[in-house]
Amino acid sequence: MIENQAQEDVWIPSACSMCYNQCGILAHRKEGTLVKIEGNPDSPYGRGRLCARGLAGIQMLYDPHRVDRPLRRTNPVKGIGVDPEWEEISWDEALDLVTAKLAEVREEDPRQLFFSGTVVSLSPLMHMLGTFLPAYGTPNAFVSDGHQCGNAEHILARTLHASVTTNPDARYCDYLLLFGCQAGLGTYYALTTMAQDVADARVRGMKLVVVDPYLSQAAEKADEWVPIRPGSDGAMACAMLNLLVNEYGMYDAEYIGHHTDGPYLVGEDGRYVRDADGKPLVWDTGPGAARPFDAAGRPTESAALTGCYSVDGKRCKPVFQRLKEQVAKWTPEEAEKVSTVPAERIRHIAREFGEAARIGQTIEIEGHELPHRPAAALYFKGAHGHDNAWPTSLAIELLNEVVGASNVPGGLMGTNPVCFGHPETGFPRWNPTAGAEGLLEAGALLHNDIDGPTPGWPPPPESAELPNLRDLIGWPITTCFTPAALNDDENFGGAVRPKMLINYGSNLLMSAARPETCFEAFKDCFVVCSSLFSDETAEALADIVLPDASYLERLDPVPNFARHHHPVGLGDWGHQIRQPAVEPLHERRHFCEVLLEIERRLGINEVANLMTNFAYGIPPEFALEPDEEYSWEEISDRIYKGWFGSERGLAWFQKNGVLSWPKQVEEVYWKPFSEARAPLYNEWLVRYGEDVRRIAHEKGMSGIDTKGFLPLPDWFPCQAHKPVPGFDLQAIYYRVPWHTFSMTYENPWLDEISRGEPYSYYVCINAATARAKGIHDEDPIVIEGTDGARIEGRARLTEGVHPEVVAIANNGGHWARGMPLAKGTGVFFNQLQKMDLEHTDLVSLSMDCDARVRVYPAEGG
Amino acid sequence: MRLGMVIDLKRCIGCYGCQVSCKAENGTRPGTTYARLIKREWGTFPDVQRLSIPLLCNHCSEPPCVDVCPTGASQKQESDGIVFVDGDVCVGCRACVMACPYGARYYQDREHTYFDSEGPNEYETTRYLEHVRGVVEKCDFCRHRLAEGLDPACVTNCMSKARIFGDLDDPDSEVSRLVREEGGFPLTPEAGTEPNVFYLPPDRPPTNDRQVTP
Repeated sequence: MIENQAQEDVWIPSACSMCYNQCGILAHRKEGTLVKIEGNPDSPYGRGRLCARGLAGIQMLYDPHRVDRPLRRTNPVKGIGVDPEWEEISWDEALDLVTAKLAEVREEDPRQLFFSGTVVSLSPLMHMLGTFLPAYGTPNAFVSDGHQCGNAEHILARTLHASVTTNPDARYCDYLLLFGCQAGLGTYYALTTMAQDVADARVRGMKLVVVDPYLSQAAEKADEWVPIRPGSDGAMACAMLNLLVNEYGMYDAEYIGHHTDGPYLVGEDGRYVRDADGKPLVWDTGPGAARPFDAAGRPTESAALTGCYSVDGKRCKPVFQRLKEQVAKWTPEEAEKVSTVPAERIRHIAREFGEAARIGQTIEIEGHELPHRPAAALYFKGAHGHDNAWPTSLAIELLNEVVGASNVPGGLMGTNPVCFGHPETGFPRWNPTAGAEGLLEAGALLHNDIDGPTPGWPPPPESAELPNLRDLIGWPITTCFTPAALNDDENFGGAVRPKMLINYGSNLLMSAARPETCFEAFKDCFVVCSSLFSDETAEALADIVLPDASYLERLDPVPNFARHHHPVGLGDWGHQIRQPAVEPLHERRHFCEVLLEIERRLGINEVANLMTNFAYGIPPEFALEPDEEYSWEEISDRIYKGWFGSERGLAWFQKNGVLSWPKQVEEVYWKPFSEARAPLYNEWLVRYGEDVRRIAHEKGMSGIDTKGFLPLPDWFPCQAHKPVPGFDLQAIYYRVPWHTFSMTYENPWLDEISRGEPYSYYVCINAATARAKGIHDEDPIVIEGTDGARIEGRARLTEGVHPEVVAIANNGGHWARGMPLAKGTGVFFNQLQKMDLEHTDLVSLSMDCDARVRVYPAEGG
Repeated sequence: MRLGMVIDLKRCIGCYGCQVSCKAENGTRPGTTYARLIKREWGTFPDVQRLSIPLLCNHCSEPPCVDVCPTGASQKQESDGIVFVDGDVCVGCRACVMACPYGARYYQDREHTYFDSEGPNEYETTRYLEHVRGVVEKCDFCRHRLAEGLDPACVTNCMSKARIFGDLDDPDSEVSRLVREEGGFPLTPEAGTEPNVFYLPPDRPPTNDRQVTP
């Protein structure tokens, strides 16, 4: 407890959690009340600057509508919009009920416990996934905001960059090409730091080109805004690839030959040609013969990138030759038909991109001569939120790979895949290596970022007894598809059914497609929500609501995914603490502490202790003993000491907030120092696709279609492109950086922004399109999907949106009684979204985040 | 000394961080935004431009708000040119609100709180003590922070480093240099108020300087 509150005036270093990025903050507490939040200038996560959300967290802490005590449903009827008729109960009573149900389910089959979480409350989410769930014995977890997540980007960040995400090396970049992405300009990874670097770069003269159907915050700052038909970014990128490798000859042969699988030979069966030991072969133009890619222990200097060869009587071609042929059909004119982007414009952007990459040039940085490739192309939800996500994302990624602008100065960077650790302890330590076939093997991906439990290559499909989607397609690190699979008896009828759902911090009814999807999947379960608010999910589904401590009321020893919360490029590494700015108010409790108590009550605490050691990589000296009981503070102390030495335990971090040390050139620009090759050709998908087809056939899963399992880039239409008479528009959603998904709509400071801002609480429609439909500015309108789904909103006529598109910000339109400020503000885009196999890219589990619609004035409007 | 601000419209990404950093620093009531932002759009698809323009008090050298104040509550600080309101003297006549061409002055007629029917929360109970009902309030370049050697909160927090603060009377200051060399211009110069907030054009030529600014 806080003593001497009367004299108190303290600044507490901690970490934000108002969005995914978890920046460093300083919380100012006076006489027991939090009076201000600022950025922490000592933290590499934000370097002292915060976004509107981070500054506004204080109004979430003191929101009088927060859940303050455990609640039990008294209305036996569950339903969307139903009043649960909460009654307040004691924590003891709540935990008795929860533990009894957990014990009963576990006795029968622990896999019947399902879990949903949110990446915004990242640290407790990871603790749950890494410790409680494995100790309990269920693999059935999903991230309900998975469709807002990286999906295909995460897979390619893993195989090409040994990381989970990407960002541009703004300090050296001269040409930044964004597809449906707002890196450093709006919502994206490490926004508050990347915004500083990207602004510096733009002032310096970096050209910014933004491809987006909507004049987003990023597009507003662009030197060129390229409005595009949603879901066709891949066609434009394929055409750019075609121009670079076939027409302009702008590619980095040295990089492709030595740092990718470009010279690997591929047979007509779509597989690498291998020798008797399984080593991929290249064609050595010296002697004119095939030889292993690393014959004599080093890359073959004279390996062919082009041509057609015969090995043991079988025709084969180098990967790069296959790529050239694959993209040849994508002329700029073909891409124009699909994307509406004029062919001449595609040509000039491709040429500028290729020229900006300065192929062949080097730069000296801190005594190292490095390739200088100051051009980067990256993408996010706008481009890959479609069921053609995989080939689209691959096409954009390969723009960087063919010009060699990958993890070198000025190019596209994996978010910090190499770290040599703190100078005194060598922890945390991440280093990707080359596997037996010479390809890049990602190191550990998440916050157990220590050598040891490295997942390496994406896991292959498994033929489980009761197959669920994740057995079949386990490699995407996030998905929200689980509820859709539960509703799909035809394909997943044999999978384990849920009897209980624990939902931590997420509002899945609003975040995972239309609310009926999640409601149907879990309506017969015992549902426990640990939540800040009695939100739509709690009101519709929860039997018990546990009052969660917000990020300003709790201790998280590992608040960051260090890799992708850091900006890329030179600067500092840092490890920070999240600690209570105030003690939990009322009867709110930290979810991790609740889990510790439930583990003890269930008798799974010994296994949970072992899982904690594993999940956090705690070295033996500080490891938890299985049979001891530990407080959350004691566990945190051991994590810190294990990573940073016995003198830097919890007390050190409570006082200092953040431990930083400088990044080294070999860490940041790691590619020239690594022998690992990035696969341009995704042979693994050819193999996995065959396995998935076989398993699906054996199990009678007729809805599994592997047409998208493509080893090289291509484009095909997404569901929202299917013509339906009368439905002439595509509805898309975009993001503003003062809201996070749906969670911030209850925050009055952020609501105040949207109320004063012209677009984000409206449906943006092209002015000419609107006029042709008799729609005026401010008119109430209906947006209706081809399956009858309807949403309403007010029209905002603007020139800043593609004529075939209506654009809606984030995910508003709350209806819960427990969030009265949020209720009715903004527009509920997700009602238009159908989640099923048809609308999902099965390589990345990315769903089609747009919809074919028609728009008309609301009756009586 | 003539304190002033430069806002770089090329850097500004329209994130509204200035509006909320001001609110967080000054603990203002609903509807009061000493720092705010407007968005403007012009052109016809696809040749269209949108611009975010941060606004605040211009701390004019010829402030009409000071001229019209009947009580002397609105003042211009001689030492540094900051325009401020003495809440103890203001009678809330709002003549200054009408006189200001920049909409930079705020008046609360009742004790608004953000969770209206619930009354003030713990934060508001503490922070609204700093504000008196029935008087006009405005940006004072965070005088309390300047006294501690800090920049105004909106300057310190801006994540695209679009706001630069300093002495416009000092020709060697960064603000003077930027106004002189990068085409700094004030808003509504025709009002004759001689504003001390300058804007740098969004489309100005690159510096080609790879040196990272702090």
